[in-house]
This record gives sequence, structure tokens and C-alpha cells, in this order.
Amino acid sequence: MLAQVVLKDVNKVYGSLYAVNNVSFTVQDGEFVALVGPSGCGKTTTLNLIAGLITMSGGEIAIGDRMVTDLDPKDRDIAMVFQNYALYPNKTVFNNLAFPLQMRKQPKDVIDKKVREAAKVLDITHLLDRRPRELSGGQQQRVALGRALVRDPAVFLMDEPLSNLDAKLRVQMRSEIKRFHHNLNATIVYVTHDQLEAVTMADKMAVMHGGVLQQYDTPANVFSNPVNTFVASFVGSPAMSLIPVEVVTTGAATILKGTSGWEMPLSAANARKAQGSSNGKAVLGARHSTLKLHKAAKPDAVPGKIHTVEPTGDITFAQVLVDGEVVNISLEPSVAIQPDERVWLEFDQDRMHLFDATTTMALKAA
Amino acid sequence: MTIATERAAIAPKAAEQPWGIGLLRRIIDHRSDYLYILPALLVMLVVIAYPVYYTIELSFFKTPPNLQMKDKIFVGFDNYAAILSSSSFHRVTINTLIWTVFSTGFAFLLGLAAALALHREFAGRGVLRAVLLIPYVVSAVAASYVWKWLYHSDFGVIGALAVQFGLTDRPINFLDNTTTVLPSLIVVNVWKEFSFAMVMLMAGLQTVPEQLLRAAQVDGASAWQRFWHVTFPHLRGVSMVTVLLLMVANFNSFIIPWIMTSGGPAGASDIWITDIYNIAFGRQRYGVASAYAVILFIVMMVLGYFYVKALTRGDEARAG
Amino acid sequence: MSTATQSSLPTTRKPIDWWRWAGRFTILLLLIFTVLPMLWMVLTSIKSQFAALQYPPQWWPAEPTLNNYWRLINPADSIGREFLRYFWNSFYVSLITTILGVVVAVPAAYAFSRFRFPGRTFLFFTVLVRNMFPAVVFLMPLFLLMRWMGLVNTHGSLILTYLTFGLPLSIWLLKGFFDNIPIQLEQAARIDGATRFQAFLLIVMPLSTPGIIATSIFSFIGAWNEYVYAYTFLSKQESMTLPVGIQRFFTEFATDWPGLMAATFLMSVPVVVLFLVLQKYFVRALTEGAVKH
Repeated sequence: MLAQVVLKDVNKVYGSLYAVNNVSFTVQDGEFVALVGPSGCGKTTTLNLIAGLITMSGGEIAIGDRMVTDLDPKDRDIAMVFQNYALYPNKTVFNNLAFPLQMRKQPKDVIDKKVREAAKVLDITHLLDRRPRELSGGQQQRVALGRALVRDPAVFLMDEPLSNLDAKLRVQMRSEIKRFHHNLNATIVYVTHDQLEAVTMADKMAVMHGGVLQQYDTPANVFSNPVNTFVASFVGSPAMSLIPVEVVTTGAATILKGTSGWEMPLSAANARKAQGSSNGKAVLGARHSTLKLHKAAKPDAVPGKIHTVEPTGDITFAQVLVDGEVVNISLEPSVAIQPDERVWLEFDQDRMHLFDATTTMALKAA
Repeated sequence: MTIATERAAIAPKAAEQPWGIGLLRRIIDHRSDYLYILPALLVMLVVIAYPVYYTIELSFFKTPPNLQMKDKIFVGFDNYAAILSSSSFHRVTINTLIWTVFSTGFAFLLGLAAALALHREFAGRGVLRAVLLIPYVVSAVAASYVWKWLYHSDFGVIGALAVQFGLTDRPINFLDNTTTVLPSLIVVNVWKEFSFAMVMLMAGLQTVPEQLLRAAQVDGASAWQRFWHVTFPHLRGVSMVTVLLLMVANFNSFIIPWIMTSGGPAGASDIWITDIYNIAFGRQRYGVASAYAVILFIVMMVLGYFYVKALTRGDEARAG
Repeated sequence: MSTATQSSLPTTRKPIDWWRWAGRFTILLLLIFTVLPMLWMVLTSIKSQFAALQYPPQWWPAEPTLNNYWRLINPADSIGREFLRYFWNSFYVSLITTILGVVVAVPAAYAFSRFRFPGRTFLFFTVLVRNMFPAVVFLMPLFLLMRWMGLVNTHGSLILTYLTFGLPLSIWLLKGFFDNIPIQLEQAARIDGATRFQAFLLIVMPLSTPGIIATSIFSFIGAWNEYVYAYTFLSKQESMTLPVGIQRFFTEFATDWPGLMAATFLMSVPVVVLFLVLQKYFVRALTEGAVKH
């Protein structure tokens, strides 16, 4: 059965506030999609709308080939893993796993077989007689996954399933969920506030902010072609550095001018993009790895001052102040720099980003 | 394939709906929610809304003593005027204030002392708490009889003990003396309800962060300073709810004065509720008693407002 | 690594902890205050009428007797028959009130905890404010209402009244318990195939058992101890509950104090036992809501 999820113009309004604002996207069968954004961006609300736990104010949702807009959660053929696992505290692990099957009036022997199968897959067979409070966080997480698994649903919904685990366990469970997705060829919609989780796990990510879907694409495309300054600064760590600049065109040449007066000539492609900015105000963006540091003045390089230096072992991160903005840059550990040292940053014309200062949208070649 | 939205990040406001239509819509959206509270609502309507309405209505009428309410006569605010201008109302009000303020005050202070003393973990603490709570659990009727016997003018153990310890020459007639009767009843009331304040404040004490007390100790605060600057501010909310609940309970007291003295001698222990009861069921003057009850009700509403405010703080913030 | 040097500070003698002693003294005084009346009740109840009416009092019963108790629980004795009748009436009224109270309060509390419907705050306010009304506000109109419904001198009048005066507190208590049950559990159940009602019945109800027990104790004790309405609504001897009944028959002539003390003792036994057995729930119920955990 085709297990795609289609959202069309989905809205959720509380009073006069749009929690989810005209969101549309399609999750293909077998795809792992991460809904990502800062807290309060509407990602969990969107997931709850897909689940049917809250009613929509407008729009349509289809799961598989059925319209589910007016269906109860139980009739949508979905399973969900919650942030706090939501295991039934008064039931054993076995009965937690069996509950969805019991609710569907499956015969006892089928339930027993399916529960044991799922337990085996997740390596929790030895825990079947325990109660949730006797389990570690990682074990509870597995049981929650198991409860979703036994159902063999069309779609798995996961609401920040790893956020209650400690850092080490989180990395481990991350790869386990990835295996889970791969082995079952499952369709998964996964909510997280951690862009790294989204980038590492998902086939596609839907970046949300203020109830609005900002960008829906593969992690690689979102990373390399952010549609606006919000996405640019949200995805990637350290964040993309953003410097407000002025676009100055004299004759055939278009250059960027910093607030402190430095000037940077642009390549032909970048010049065409920059000319599209409204009022000649733009934002220059660059990721830490695309910047080159010079300790002596260099034509076309941007002057700055070292703010902090953070060695991490194999890479040293430095924060450079340019026009009062913090610019992140990564360096070989062998580069010796001191705070307050004057430096010059060379931008890569092919890998830098230009945004409109007013609309925050990425500038495109006219 | 990039499906980028061309919209700004910040969500626009939804169009404002006219207030009435919006409310109606929300009520219709939530119609099934009301089913859950319907049974409770029905019971409350019959046994609360109707009596309140009827009391207010009767307060404007002169009612016949035979309770044939079809014969009642409209008198406007006469009943109110009669009560507010009567000298017995003033005396009873003073009694009620003394009764309420001293009962509440002593119950709270004893409760606070007990809570502080029982806060530290020690063997037998649970048993002690249970024993201290027994008076709160038993019926006020039982308490009244027991204390009536303790105060007995001839064979009461309190009088006998007072003589034994040389405090008086002969047993005091606690309940038959206009000056001693009210304090004697307040003692019974405090005996009955101080442990309520105790458990409330014990629960409140558990919310005082241990770290803050430690920090204060490191900063050189004395035990008293720690109590005054750290513990007490944390108890403010609970204290307020406790005092309000005690006050309401005491304003509404009936059983202890009714069974022990019936408001006597010479009305020296008459408080609002016993007075109203006498007017209504003793003298069959329902109209006057209703007006009296409405006055009381207004006082309670003011207290109730503070009670609900103290209780529901933070409740609305919880997301549903 | 430097090694810690042995402390050479002068050792100070631990000062007497005055606060701790003050605490112990407070507890002792409060304990005496609390226990003495109860002790005297019990001591009086095992004295003969003659031994009780002595001055100076007989501190300890010279000839302890259980006669006062035997008389009360002996169905062959006229006093015993009456007492047992009141006892049964009290039990019956309290039990029915408790059961009906839970049945009505649970859905209401659940709705107040889970839903955000218009008027919720107002309704909740009215539910709470019920605690504020003086009993007499209701006494007169309810008396007339009961008379009109033909319920005067029936237990129905008491059950209906106790039900409402217990409801606000029950709803408030249960709401607190429901608030503590994560809504995700119900959401999980609904996704697992349960209807909203099944999720409530199969997941929420079993988890709120402590709350229901706590609420039930409160209703039961409240109904058992209630006096004002019973005193007003019931005039026939055979329908009276204990608080009204014992007053009636011990003050007809000269008061039989040892008998009265035995009766108050027996009257207190059920609620005290209930309280001691379920103390944890009782205390939690008492403080629920007033203290944010």
C-alpha cells in the first residue's frame, strides 16, 4: 500500500494566532521527513494535525490514498512515538505493546506472536514483564518504538523521540532509528528542534518558523541553498555568519560595501544577484568552512578582529568581529592566533550567500 | 526541487471575528465537552442555583410563619433595613468577628508551629501527624459533646484541673458566663481545625528549595533569618489559601456554638449562622433570615474572590 | 595534587540547638492539647454514671466497665436498637453519597482538566464558590424544595444535598489528579486505536485510582459528619443519622455522660479508622491544589 502523506493548505488557528499557517507538503512513500524549527514554530502542532489529535482550522490531509481530514486518530492508520514515550505506567511492557492490537480486536495468539516479533527486533524480549518505571530511558524509548512497530501502520509519527535521552544514548538511538527506517522502508514524519538530528537522519527536512513552512527539501539542498536568512542561520553548526552590507554599482562593476567602509568586488553571477536587492541593502552570508583567514591585509578581503578562539582538537573555531557582527570560521589547529588580533577574511565567491535585507529572502540572479 | 514559500516568517494575524459569533462558534466547536460536566451542572443547578435565587427573592418579602409562600408580601428592602439597624445584629457581628479572627489566627499560628516542628524527618513523625489530625477528622458534633463534658460546671475535668493546680478556688462555669463563653468555644474550634493549617503548611514547606536554605546558611543567615527571608516567602501562597479557607469555615460555623451553648448565655456566643438559624427555624421569619443570608453571602463572595484568585494562579497558563 | 592538610582549626563545641528543643516542646504541648480531650472521652466512657459524676473527678476509672458500649450495640436493648438504626442510616447515606459523587464528579473534573471550552473558568468558579456559601443560604430554600418534592424525612433529601456540597471539592481534587496524568498517554491510546472514551476508561481511570480513593474518603467523612441539614430535614426518629440521633436521645432527661461519651466514641470510629488507613490519600487530597507540586 502506498503510504504517502499529503498536506494541503493546512491551518491551525488559536484565537487570532496562526499556529500553523497554510502549510503544504508531500511525504513520499518510504520517505523520512523531519519537521524542524525552533520551539513554538508549529512543528508539533503540524504533527498533531497529521495524527488527528487536534482539529484543523482549514486545509486537507491525505494519508495513503485516503482523505483523513475528518477521521479519528484511531482510523488514520498511523503510529506515534512521543517525546516522553507515553508508555502506560500501569501496564507491563508486553501489555503496552499489545494494547494497539487489543484495541483492534486481534486474536490473542496473533497479538502474542506480533508482540514477541517486535520485541525481538528491538531487543527488548527480556523486558516484557517489566513496568515502564523499571526501565532506563533508552529501554523506554525502544518500547515506545515497539508499540508503534507492532501495528504495521502506514505512517510513523515521531515527536522529539530522542530529546529526553542523554547525549551519548541519543547518538546511538539516532542510528537505530535510521536502521529502523531503512529495514522497514517505513514512512516517517519526525519532529525535532535539533537541526543536526534532521540533517543526519532525514531524507527531506521541512524547516518551519512562526507557523510557516520556510523550506522543504533534502538536507543537502537546505544546507547549501537556504531560501532565507532564517533557514541559513538555523541549519548548520556553527551557524552561518550574516553581515549586513550595501550593494554599490558603479558603471559595470558591482561591489559590496561594509558599514565600516571595506569593499568587496563580486563575481559576475553574484553581481547579478546583488543587483536584485531592494534599496541596495543586502546581507552577506558565509559558512565557517568557506572562509579563509589571512594575518596580513589582502586586497578584497574583509578586515576583522579576533573575538574568541575555541580549539576542539582537530579543528579550531574562531569568532571574528566584522562590523560588530560575529563571523564564525574554522581553522587548522596549527594556525596561531590571539584574541584582539587584526585579521582579514577572504570570501569564496562560489559558496557565499546573498540575501535581501528587507525581505530576508535569498537573492537570485535576475 | 525547491518549494520555497515566498511568505515572511512571521504569521499574520487572523481576521478578527465579531465577538459574539466567535464565542458561539467556539461553543459549538466544544459542544461535546459540555456533556462531561452536564450531570454535575444539573445537580448544582437544582440544589445551588435555585436556592440562591430563591433566597434572594425571599429576602424582599414578608413571609408567613406557616411557610405558605404564596401568601408572601413584597416589602422591598425592609428586611435588610430591619437587620442592619437592629442592635442584636451589631452584637452578633462583633461576636462573629471575634470568633472568626481569633479562631483563624490561633489555628494558623498553632498549625504553623506544628508544621515547622514536624518538618524535620524523625521516627514517629507520621504517627504524630496522624494523631494531631484526628480532631479535624471527627465530627464537630462529637467534638462539641466531648468539650461540653470537659467544660462541665460541676464535674468538668478542666475546672477540676484548674482547682488542682491552684488557679482557682472552685470550678469555673466556662459556658454559662458571658465573658468566658466565647473564648471557651474558640478553644474548641482551634482544637478542631489547627491541624488543617498544619498539613497545608507542611505541604507548603516541602516546596521550599533545600538549596536556597543551604545558600542562606553559607551566607551566614541565622535560623530565624533563614525562616524569615527564605521559608516564609515561599509559604505565602499556601498561607493565604489556608487563612482564607479557615476564615470561610469559621464565618460559616454552626455546630460548635449551636450544640454547646445554642448561642447563649444571653446571646454571648451567638454568631451569624446561629442567629440566622434561630430567626428562620425558631421564629419562622424566612424573609428576614433570607436577607440576613444574602448579606452574609456578599461577605463570602468577597472572600471567595480572593480564594479563587489564590487557587487558580498559574492554572490558566497550563496548556491544554 | 596537593594533599589536604589536617585541620588545625580549634574544634568548637556544638551549641545546643535551641530551635530543635523548641520544636520538641511545641509538639509536646500540641500533643497534650490534642490528646487529653480524647483521652478523657474514653476514660469517661468506661465509667459508671455514678463514677463519672464525682467531684473531684475520678482521674482513673476505679471500676472500668464496658457496659455503656454493650448497651449501644445490643439490638435487644431499646437504646441499642435506636443507636444501631442511626448508625446504619449514617452509613447508608454516606455510602450512596460517595458513590454518586464519584460518578458525577469524575467526568466533570476530567472536562475541567482537559478541555478549554468557553465558560470553563466561569463554571469552575461557580463550582468552587459553592464552598463559600454559608449552609443556611441553602437550608431554607432547600427545606422548602425538599418539602415540595416530598423528600423531607427521607434519606434522598440528604443524599441530594450532600452530593452537591461534596461535588465542588471532589471536582477540584480530581482535577488536580487528572492534571498530573500526561495528556500524551491519552493521545497515544487514541492513536493506538482507542476512542476518546476508551482512552479515558482504559488509561486515565486506572491511573487516577488514588485520586478517586482520596475523593471518596472526603465525601464519606463529610457526609458521615454532617449535622445541619440532617438536623433540619429529618424529624422522624427512624430516619435520623448519628450526629442528630445521639443528641436527641441523650438530652431528653439528665444527660448520661458516660453513655454519651461511648456513643461519640463509636460514632468517631469509622471516620478515624478510614482516615488512619488511607491517611496518605487524605493528606494529599487536603493539600491538593493549594500547593503546586
